Amino acid sequence: MDVHPRALDYTESEFSGPIPNESELTAGVRIVPGRSYGFFTDTTVCIGCKACEVACKEWNNLPADNVGLTGQSYDNTGQLSANTWRHVAFIEKHSDGAGPGVRSTEKPPFQSGWLMMSDVCKHCHNAPCLEACPTGALFKTEFDTVVVQQDICNGCGYCVPACPFGVVDLSTLDGKAHKCTLCYDRLKGGLEPACAKACPTDSIQFGELDDLHLRARQRVQQLHAQGVETAYLYGVPGGPGATGDLGHLNAFFLLTDRPETYNLSEAPTRPANRVAASLLTGLAAVAGLALAAVAAFSRRA
Amino acid sequence: MNSMEGVVTIVQESRFQLTDDAGAGHLFVLAHRSLAEPDQLEALQRRQTRVRVDYTEPRNIIGLLAHAVDIAA
Amino acid sequence: MESRNLGPQEQAPVPASAAGGTQGARQEWRGPTYYGMPALKEAPFESWVVGGYIFLAGLAGAASILAAIADLARPRRAAGTVRRGRYWALAAPTLGAGLLVYDLHTPQRFYNMFRVAKGTSPMSIGTWLLTGFSVVSGLTAALQFAAERRPRWRWLRRAARAANVPAAVLGGGMSTYTAALLSATSTPLWAASPGGLAARFGSASMASGAAALSLAEPPGPTRSALDTVASVALAAELACDAWQAIDYRRKGVAGALESGWGMAEKLGATGLGAAVPLGLYGLALLGGNRGNLSRLASLAALGGSLLLRVSILEAGNVSARTPEISFRFAQPDNLGRPRRRRR
Repeated sequence: MDVHPRALDYTESEFSGPIPNESELTAGVRIVPGRSYGFFTDTTVCIGCKACEVACKEWNNLPADNVGLTGQSYDNTGQLSANTWRHVAFIEKHSDGAGPGVRSTEKPPFQSGWLMMSDVCKHCHNAPCLEACPTGALFKTEFDTVVVQQDICNGCGYCVPACPFGVVDLSTLDGKAHKCTLCYDRLKGGLEPACAKACPTDSIQFGELDDLHLRARQRVQQLHAQGVETAYLYGVPGGPGATGDLGHLNAFFLLTDRPETYNLSEAPTRPANRVAASLLTGLAAVAGLALAAVAAFSRRA
Repeated sequence: MNSMEGVVTIVQESRFQLTDDAGAGHLFVLAHRSLAEPDQLEALQRRQTRVRVDYTEPRNIIGLLAHAVDIAA
Repeated sequence: MESRNLGPQEQAPVPASAAGGTQGARQEWRGPTYYGMPALKEAPFESWVVGGYIFLAGLAGAASILAAIADLARPRRAAGTVRRGRYWALAAPTLGAGLLVYDLHTPQRFYNMFRVAKGTSPMSIGTWLLTGFSVVSGLTAALQFAAERRPRWRWLRRAARAANVPAAVLGGGMSTYTAALLSATSTPLWAASPGGLAARFGSASMASGAAALSLAEPPGPTRSALDTVASVALAAELACDAWQAIDYRRKGVAGALESGWGMAEKLGATGLGAAVPLGLYGLALLGGNRGNLSRLASLAALGGSLLLRVSILEAGNVSARTPEISFRFAQPDNLGRPRRRRR
């Protein structure tokens, strides 16, 4: 097992303060402002423990919402919301094409009957929420992540329908929009995000985007070689999820079924590309009607 | 409206944890009509000031909604 | 911060699930959903508040345009319309702005809207448009008011006419930018036909402006002119409705209009709000200016204009929270031709 040489400097059980550049030890990456960081979520090793949900709630001091049981397998958070920034989805696949309610008699060597995926804000490259925000509260940080500045947001809620993944949400309690910050405060302190640190199987991997893409590609090739032909990447440039001029998703996923199974859209689009066409068409219509008005008023009775 | 006194121990955006005299931690969300601003919470946490929070219990979260935060005598 | 583009050979295509994806003349979604949970979030706007603002903004913008045109074409005979149009234009900066601030969830920070001017955000564009329109139409109304108090100072009337021109230009923006506001989101119904929605909102705004001015105008050539404008605008609105229907069917979001609010849109906005007044205006214009028909038509057009905005907002929310519609919309066949993208 690889242990970072610096780890041997910190062998005590209790610390009086945070370890400098702790992410080097826990994620193998040094956090430097100006580089692009994100998540690679490998759903094939997710065990559905929800440590990511708990770590996120604990670190960000988020209250539990959606109190009660949903009846959706082990998913009791239901969806991302103003107070839920990590949501683990559970999909039980009972049949393999034989029809609903019919148990399949053959299963591939890779356990594919139960899909688990930890959903999060995708921190899009051309983030629609950021482009929609009229106050400038949403901005791109020095780590290439998207964050809502709570002291500027005035709760207009325009970012909410703009998001093509239904992530950002308006809280009716405190009147502002909230979403995953990729633990901006932890990144500034040299710590990796809480969910990535808590994940026991390294399903959630934090790192520099180029490095994550490399690892993800290698993992997909490995899975194909092992017989999991349905493995693919969601959110990488040119792939599903990064369509429609969104660029790429800083938080991207390795999935083994259609995106809609995990509540993701296959071909989301960048809403800002619709602004010019809409404005010009509308103005043309109004101009045409104004000309008609000129004609109507100029007619001698 | 209920009231609680304690020390602010954790602050994140407009949410904070108040540790009361019995040592129990309570999660509060600042209501949008409260006069307190999130930046002020940070100062309270740093100085470990004893505060009094006027709150109500919202239906949809496990937490409390803070309407007013005053410095307790 | 750009990432290296992954080659196609390293990507497995999206696997078709056993149930298949889109089926049936590219309309319905037969693929999986996640327990029927919404994949998108609805807009948190209160439909009557924001719909009311859009209606007022359209009315005010159109009123300003019509006042400017009437003043330039027949200033003496249409003086009443000119006057009313310039005052009606104030509806947006006053009542409309009030509705907007009320709809914010942290209204005490409304001034933060002025921190940025973003071309990608129609809400930001709209903030500055509303500000500019408020200033110029306020100036126009003030000059109009002064010109009425001091009829001997002719320059006041000329100044009001001059100020009305930029107000009308910005008013044109006011009557249609709200459609861009809706289209620049991921809500399927609003995003499916950006051009159609914009032209429809613009036409409905012109119709409501003409209808409001026609209501207050006594029978005569000016009212006939206003009724003609309203008729043309309503006809344009019906044409846009057809345009939108084609787009909606092609992109698979027509299901959102099968809800209750969809009925309201069809019967209320298109039927009672556009087709009926168009017919009534036609009868009034051809039948020699019978007062009641024109007034009925104007009232119906105004009601229809408001109902149009509210029903589109509500039906849009239906499309956002129904995964069958949002997944069907977010399919590769709806991506369109790749164009030169913005930076």
